[in-house]
Amino acid sequence: MERVKIGIKGLDEMLNGGLLPETANLVEGAPGTGKSTLGMQFIYNGITEYNEPGLILTFEEFPQQYYHDAEAFGWNFRKLEKADKLRVIMTSPEVGKADLERVGGRIEALAHEIGARRILVDSLSHFERLTDDPAVLRSMLFSFVNSLKREGLTSILTRESRTFIGESESAEEDAAFIVDSYIMLRFVEIESAVRKALLVLKLRGSDHAKDIRQFEITPTGIEVRSKFEGREGIMSGSPRRMADSFIEAFVTPSKKRKNQT
Amino acid sequence: MASNDLAARLMGDMAPQLLEFLKNKVNTFVKWDLVRFFHENPNTTDTAENIARYAGRDVATIEVEMDELVGAGVLSRQRIGDLTVYSLVEDPAMRTLVDQFILACDDRQFRVKAIYHIIRGMR
Repeated sequence: MERVKIGIKGLDEMLNGGLLPETANLVEGAPGTGKSTLGMQFIYNGITEYNEPGLILTFEEFPQQYYHDAEAFGWNFRKLEKADKLRVIMTSPEVGKADLERVGGRIEALAHEIGARRILVDSLSHFERLTDDPAVLRSMLFSFVNSLKREGLTSILTRESRTFIGESESAEEDAAFIVDSYIMLRFVEIESAVRKALLVLKLRGSDHAKDIRQFEITPTGIEVRSKFEGREGIMSGSPRRMADSFIEAFVTPSKKRKNQT
Repeated sequence: MASNDLAARLMGDMAPQLLEFLKNKVNTFVKWDLVRFFHENPNTTDTAENIARYAGRDVATIEVEMDELVGAGVLSRQRIGDLTVYSLVEDPAMRTLVDQFILACDDRQFRVKAIYHIIRGMR
């Protein structure tokens, strides 16, 4: 099956070769976990390695921020815009959605102008300010995601989780049902150091790796490393050594029983 | 009379197309801010409310000034559903003029002259 490679080696492997074409793919994590970096890398690699022009649709984040952040990784977004391979579009969720839902909208025109195949939408969280009704929000996201697919774009949609470490406290899972794949980024505390973990939770229509991998944001972008060995409860944010869990489950109770007798 | 002489001297060495742009299009500081905003965000399409928020300005003021920029051919205005949105016009000549204006603003002398012209126009 044809795949749309993100261009991050370990991650493409986890996705069984990459994302599926013309699908919507959610990357969720706390601020600072690297959602936008992963999205920018998807766009940059698409243009430079796979000849697939891209759009960045940003809600309320100025394009300068992306140029600046990308430059830190050696990705020259201004040059790519001048070469008609990239367009960074800042708008609001209500206008972006309305624009995509009409024929001949501005985003559609920009996509056609450069022959865009990929899009980063940063971030879906901004849609949440448009309504308090989860059903309305879900329908809004559904129609937004569909309009991206209609344009033939493979998208990475970021979403912010509200908790920094550990599992998300609220049930923000509506978007997870709408998208075709779901990648979670998490901060993990191990021996008084914060590391980053990545998990592919879902990839509709394809097998994918189920293990939780470590990743780092390096000077050249995201690098996915080995899986967390010998630990469990990674996504809780405070993993334990499996040996500790064994002791807790089997050794401690017998000690307790001894003490009780 | 002396004031007119000073104005003539200040504007004398300004590129004619920029002088015309300044006189007839960017004749207030709010418009100057808006032109800079759209130069930095050339693909932005948004409502007056949101642009006012990004620009840190009052929406009523922004709307009037943006409508004048629409009239001057710098911005375009359109309806998307029940939203009225503004963008930089697609016309390459106008986009080049905007680029030239913002580039010229890097020069302090040009800025001083432009500020003087706007203040004079506000009297």
